[in-house]
Amino acid sequence: MEEEKKFVGGWGKGNKMGERRPEDICWKERWVDVGSAVRLLDLSAMSQMQRSFSIDLPSLRLPSRRETHLWYILPDEVKSTSLLKRYSQLLSQTEKDRVDQMRGDELKKNALLARTLVRTTIARYQTNEAVDPRSLMFKKNMYGKPELDWQNCNVQPLHFNISHTDSLIACGVTVHVPVGIDVEDKERKIKHDVLTFAKRFYSADEVNCLATILDPEAQRKEFIKLWTLKEAYVKALGKGFSAAPFNTFTIQSNPGGYNLCKTSEITANPLEETKKCNGGWKFALLELADSHYAAVCTEDDQADEGAPMRVIVRKTIPFVEDQLILKEYFCN
Amino acid sequence: MASLSTTSLSFKAPSIQSTRIYQVLHKASSFKSISFGRFQSSKRLRLQISCAAKPETVQKVGDIVREQLALSTDTALTAESKFSALGADSLDTVEIVMALEEKFDISVEETDAQNITTIQEAADLIEDLVQKKPAAQGS
Repeated sequence: MEEEKKFVGGWGKGNKMGERRPEDICWKERWVDVGSAVRLLDLSAMSQMQRSFSIDLPSLRLPSRRETHLWYILPDEVKSTSLLKRYSQLLSQTEKDRVDQMRGDELKKNALLARTLVRTTIARYQTNEAVDPRSLMFKKNMYGKPELDWQNCNVQPLHFNISHTDSLIACGVTVHVPVGIDVEDKERKIKHDVLTFAKRFYSADEVNCLATILDPEAQRKEFIKLWTLKEAYVKALGKGFSAAPFNTFTIQSNPGGYNLCKTSEITANPLEETKKCNGGWKFALLELADSHYAAVCTEDDQADEGAPMRVIVRKTIPFVEDQLILKEYFCN
Repeated sequence: MASLSTTSLSFKAPSIQSTRIYQVLHKASSFKSISFGRFQSSKRLRLQISCAAKPETVQKVGDIVREQLALSTDTALTAESKFSALGADSLDTVEIVMALEEKFDISVEETDAQNITTIQEAADLIEDLVQKKPAAQGS
């Protein structure tokens, strides 16, 4: 079980108008990682014969409403060829074929880890019996977004979304509402001029916001953050890129958090662009492993509108180690 | 089995390499990304006959892709090479499109930009756009 070593309480935040109302306060619980790793098995000490699935993935309760569970793997931490071989046994034939299509060993490994992360993460949220990660089936919605085919497996109807970079692979899981996540290396260099890029693809308001940042490095970082937030939204929406081109919506950065503003399509006065900023979507932006930005976007349930999103982050090496990183509330 | 001389049975491709008719039956997006990190809307089933892009266009696209993704010279690129299989994420794809726009002096629609998945598709789109440019602009 997870050990929670140290609680560092934080004070709540007001709403985005700067006023403080009791019902708006977002409490921050930050569980500091003080080495609360849960080492499940020391695989190197066990012979091949002794390993079995049922005890390797500790079961977890489902995310609650307004909660997103975020799991990530750092590929550099996974080196054991026997472990990788075990992972490859979890994949379907189609998935294995796609791993083989990747050009280069590192890309193959990361593709393998990505599918492993999806299967093992979902398998953890079992109800009564242990779920074999191999048994999970996936399908796509009508726009091509991958989903869990939960009716054909015996698992809870979870929503999930995955994102990866060269050095980090992440998977977000929710229960009630669709989720989208995107991760990017904080140090990622853009080959084009940031503002040129933004003018081409982002909304006018976002360009204006970026233009006010004078330090090029700070501007680049803000650009990357915006990219992950916008990607996370499009992925949560699940209707493909053409349903929400990047220049048709703005991610607004407020003291309290992030908000979605959609530019209305038809207005009586073409000069008057009405923006709807109630959004209907929640955002969270975090840093993972000191190296990556991660954006999470979930749909706002009408009953929960305005309530903060809770994100629980865990780092994992499936079948080897799970580590609770943080639990935090994100306001809008 | 009677053996026939291969030359009498061979169907040689037209000597003009650039003219190749092919049918695009189903450009499904299903298999674009191994990790499903980036999915795209699936296109409708359609039958399309068009001319493939010139080899030099394919080559130029390949060069840009190679540079954007920092591929080693060992990585061989073909027209069928998929961006996702080369490790491109959505940000890479957009940067590649921007570089192509600069190189070929064209403007790519956002939705088209996100739907490019192979070098061939990029080259085909480029030639299509170059062809459609107003005559006054020249090429």
